[in-house]
Amino acid sequence: VSALLVLLLALPLGGALVLLLRPESWASRAAGQPDAVVRQVGLGASALTLAVALLTLTQRPWSTPDAVLEVDVPWIPGLGARLHLVLDGISAPLVVLTALLGLLVVVLVTSTSSSRRGSRGLVACLLAVEGGALATFTAADLVVFFVAFEVVLVPMWAVIRWWGDPHDEPGRREAATRFILFTAGGSVVLLLGLLLVASASGTTDVVELVRRQGDGMSGTVQLAAAVLLLIGLSVKVPVWPLHTWLPPAHTAAPTAGSVLLAGVLLKMGSYGMIRFVVPVVPDGFARVAPVLGALGVVGILWAGLACLVERDLKRLVAFSSVAHMGFVALGIASGTPQGLQGALFANVAHGVITSLLFVVAGGLKQRFGTADLRMLLTGAGGGLRDRLPRYGGMLVVGCIAGLGLPGLAGFWGEFLAVYGAWQADPVATGAPVWFWRALASLAVIGTVLAAAYLLRVLRLLWHGEVEGAAVTPAGYQRGGRTSPRQQDAHPHDEAEVRLDGSPDVELLHLPPGTASDAGHVSPTLLESGARAALHLPRDVRPVSARRRGDATTSETVVGLVLVVLSVVPGLLPWILLATTEPAVRHLLAVDRGFL
Amino acid sequence: MAAALVREGVQSIAWTAVLPALLPALAALLLLALDAIVGPRRGGRWRDGLALGGLVVGLLAVVPLGGQARSTFCADVAGASAGTVTVACGFVASPLTLALQTLVLASALMCLLLALGQRRPRPGDAPDAPRTEHHLLLLVATSGACFLAGARDYATLAVAFETASLPVVGLVALRRDGRGVEAGLKLLLTAVLSFALLVLGVALVYASTGSLHLGARVNTALPDLGLVHGVGLALVVAGVAFKLSLVPFHAWTPDTYAGAPVPIAAFLATVSKVAGLTALVLVLAIGAPQLASSWSLLAGALAAVTMTVGNLVALRQRSAVRLLAWSTVAQAGWVVLPLAGAVSPHRVAAAATASIGYLLAYVAATLAAFAVVVVVAQWHPLGERHGLDAYDGLLRSRMVLGVVLGFALLCLAGLPPGVMGLVAKVVALRPVVGAHAWLLTSIAVLNVVLGVAVYLRWAVRLVAATGEPDTLREPVGALTAGSVPAAPAGTSGAAIGPTGTLGSERDGEADVRTGITVPHGVALLLGLAACVVLSVLPALVASPLG
Repeated sequence: VSALLVLLLALPLGGALVLLLRPESWASRAAGQPDAVVRQVGLGASALTLAVALLTLTQRPWSTPDAVLEVDVPWIPGLGARLHLVLDGISAPLVVLTALLGLLVVVLVTSTSSSRRGSRGLVACLLAVEGGALATFTAADLVVFFVAFEVVLVPMWAVIRWWGDPHDEPGRREAATRFILFTAGGSVVLLLGLLLVASASGTTDVVELVRRQGDGMSGTVQLAAAVLLLIGLSVKVPVWPLHTWLPPAHTAAPTAGSVLLAGVLLKMGSYGMIRFVVPVVPDGFARVAPVLGALGVVGILWAGLACLVERDLKRLVAFSSVAHMGFVALGIASGTPQGLQGALFANVAHGVITSLLFVVAGGLKQRFGTADLRMLLTGAGGGLRDRLPRYGGMLVVGCIAGLGLPGLAGFWGEFLAVYGAWQADPVATGAPVWFWRALASLAVIGTVLAAAYLLRVLRLLWHGEVEGAAVTPAGYQRGGRTSPRQQDAHPHDEAEVRLDGSPDVELLHLPPGTASDAGHVSPTLLESGARAALHLPRDVRPVSARRRGDATTSETVVGLVLVVLSVVPGLLPWILLATTEPAVRHLLAVDRGFL
Repeated sequence: MAAALVREGVQSIAWTAVLPALLPALAALLLLALDAIVGPRRGGRWRDGLALGGLVVGLLAVVPLGGQARSTFCADVAGASAGTVTVACGFVASPLTLALQTLVLASALMCLLLALGQRRPRPGDAPDAPRTEHHLLLLVATSGACFLAGARDYATLAVAFETASLPVVGLVALRRDGRGVEAGLKLLLTAVLSFALLVLGVALVYASTGSLHLGARVNTALPDLGLVHGVGLALVVAGVAFKLSLVPFHAWTPDTYAGAPVPIAAFLATVSKVAGLTALVLVLAIGAPQLASSWSLLAGALAAVTMTVGNLVALRQRSAVRLLAWSTVAQAGWVVLPLAGAVSPHRVAAAATASIGYLLAYVAATLAAFAVVVVVAQWHPLGERHGLDAYDGLLRSRMVLGVVLGFALLCLAGLPPGVMGLVAKVVALRPVVGAHAWLLTSIAVLNVVLGVAVYLRWAVRLVAATGEPDTLREPVGALTAGSVPAAPAGTSGAAIGPTGTLGSERDGEADVRTGITVPHGVALLLGLAACVVLSVLPALVASPLG
């Protein structure tokens, strides 16, 4: 029994429990101020978790394909399940990433009194998510994996449901419900697959299952198990077309929730595929792999196209997550060491980059009450480059890294995934060479799309260029219920202002040419005009009424850490690749090294 | 020795084996004697103590029986091949029996605690149940369910099953108002009809096998007896299905739960369901394992329809008790689901064990939820008819209640931290997946999602903004001073409730009303403890027979 591994899980979960069980937590919630206990327990638990996660690296997980840390005690003999946890080269990067993001989100939450409700419950939920994710990334037993997989559901649901977008109560309620129903449904399908594997193989131990490489399971069982497992995990990743819960969840979640959702939760799906599908039912997986790869590529293109016209920054980043995770799915589907390495690399890179983008998007939304690109521009009074340089800087690094510029973290994972798909074995997968090469080519087109939509974001937000942005409060009209998409089709006709405070997503139409300068809109006038036009209740605050400062110190620190992490793996990709390589080779049962 | 006595027609009874079932009945007899000696209006505390004691002692009597199975009420029957004779026993204290008896006694204890904690009804409410009759009926029904767990022939089974069923009708109707009578009548009609089916089924089975012993082989000398046997079994299943509220035998459930006092609804949801599953397991798994491939289909169909209907209707309920009623319907489907995995005789034992494992988790969570509903019904203006909005902000205003209910609902939904419920879902699905019954598993997947929606819809209210702050001003979780333990010896001791504080409560002291009585407090803590322990050590859910 490894004490480090026990501590790794016990610290965040224990911290969550302590925060929840202190009775004053519910009393102090109304106060809206982060109290001292939250700061101490939350920061203490997450910082110690990170320390423990870093300490596990002293065991040199890159040196061996086997586990360097292990816990193995009896748990549920009736199901043949043991509490078996391992840490190896595949888990290690994700464990460190999770612990790091866990600390960062607690820093974000405890340093700002952002929500109406107290932050104690929020911190407890975030710690619980962190603990559940760490358990998922170290589980080496099918039942333990499933339980850990489920642990994150309720806390994440609560984060979205109660600490989400304060302007859109029905929206965040629906987003939270959709999140938990989709993911709970996916989890049961996953459970069916796990049970099928367990009943066919007679063991729930993954180390043993990986050793067997599917021996003892018939082709039909392997196929059925692979299909069930992949469907279940695809909901979490998410793979197109099971991604529809993600954009609303991200839009409604608070910044900390979005960061954990993108940086940690999605990884649980792809990690599950790599450890619990590829080596456990290899024959079944190979037969499903072409479909998974194709769906991944469809996701890349679909989400890329959606991002081109998406106007809400948070939704845009969420859709870009779907695209990035499409690369991960493609890499896994290739079944090659390169593809899997790429998928693992892209996992970490996406976690860092998307977290960075969500810190920016969440911060802006909190300040201006909206994440609509044009509204942000109006609210900020011009391009971020001049007005809010800290946010602007983070946004630039996030976007550039996200579009896969070589030298930044986003590049290597996607490059390797595409390379892996190009190299995929046509015999094992039953799909012709041209099929895999077509997938790889289409994925490359996806990176072009990524460049297009991220540069669009930069053009709008960083430079502050908006077409026909002539805005005054004088010309307000009550708008019809036009969808943002339709409006976007002819942006030169009129600039419209979307108020997130209104439940029905109403739009304010501003006739062109009636105004002088977008930078000089008076917040008071804008607000009163909007109120009058929309009959908004007093507590719903439209754009510009909030504090309009740049990123706070804590946001800047968090952002800087993420910026550094977006750059370092890009410059020194071997750090990650060397860590995962032996374990990946072991999973795929291939002898030849890649590096 | 035993065989010799049997030949001479003398029954030697292994009293220790029967003790857990006998002690509650004994307590009931003592209760009657006490009633005759001191009269109906005095000694309320003694009556409560006697009833509690009967259940606790019964529970303790289970403990020394672990280890080897003991049998009693044995007789010679014809063996499998002609001319051989084997000993068949009418009552067996096997691990299965003991697990079910423990479950029955513990649930009955919880329900009794919930009933004892009830306060005097407010003016205008229905009068309370007379104490002696209430305890008597509860003890007898519990004793019947305990006997049922050990029954190994159809005669014992039928009698024990009825002993477990009919007193509950009395318990429901004891409240003596319109709703109680209607609820009791519905239950009575269903029970009687079901008993007719059960007896008819037993008769057909007897006709086909020539023995009342469970597991007797069909007489192969005559043709078509196999069909008679099958029809008989189907009728027996139909006869016991009403107790589990399996669709289409569930129609009585919502009205009876809503019309009965909430502690009795809890009794129906737990003790009665345990009895129902016991009978089902006895008849199918022990009585006809060789026909497993046939009855597993039946079980699968019942499970699929039951869980789907239960969840869909539960999704629309506004009243807490009715939601729980439909939830118990849905959960009954889950309880029966593992039996669908018994596609061949050697899978039967595992499937039945899984059923009982799920039942264990279900009973623990349901009792905890009912405990909270009972307490809330005490102070809510609408009483037992209170809606889900009564739970708005409960986690803040009364943390203990909120935590217990929240945890119970998460267990029922099968979401961590309710690990117990999650493991129970794993346990229930495992035999079905092992049998590759994919249609059934996809229906189960749908129902997991529906169940999450059902229970979260309620759980979300625990943290929601408070609608009516005036009913929730009680400080967090305190056992307030005004809440006197149940039944101080008072002048009108024949009724359940702290009669001593009658006057002050009648004056409408809302603070007293919002307190938690000691029995309720104990029940809440026991319910929470059961859920937490099973969540921390889920091994028991996976192997409930030890």
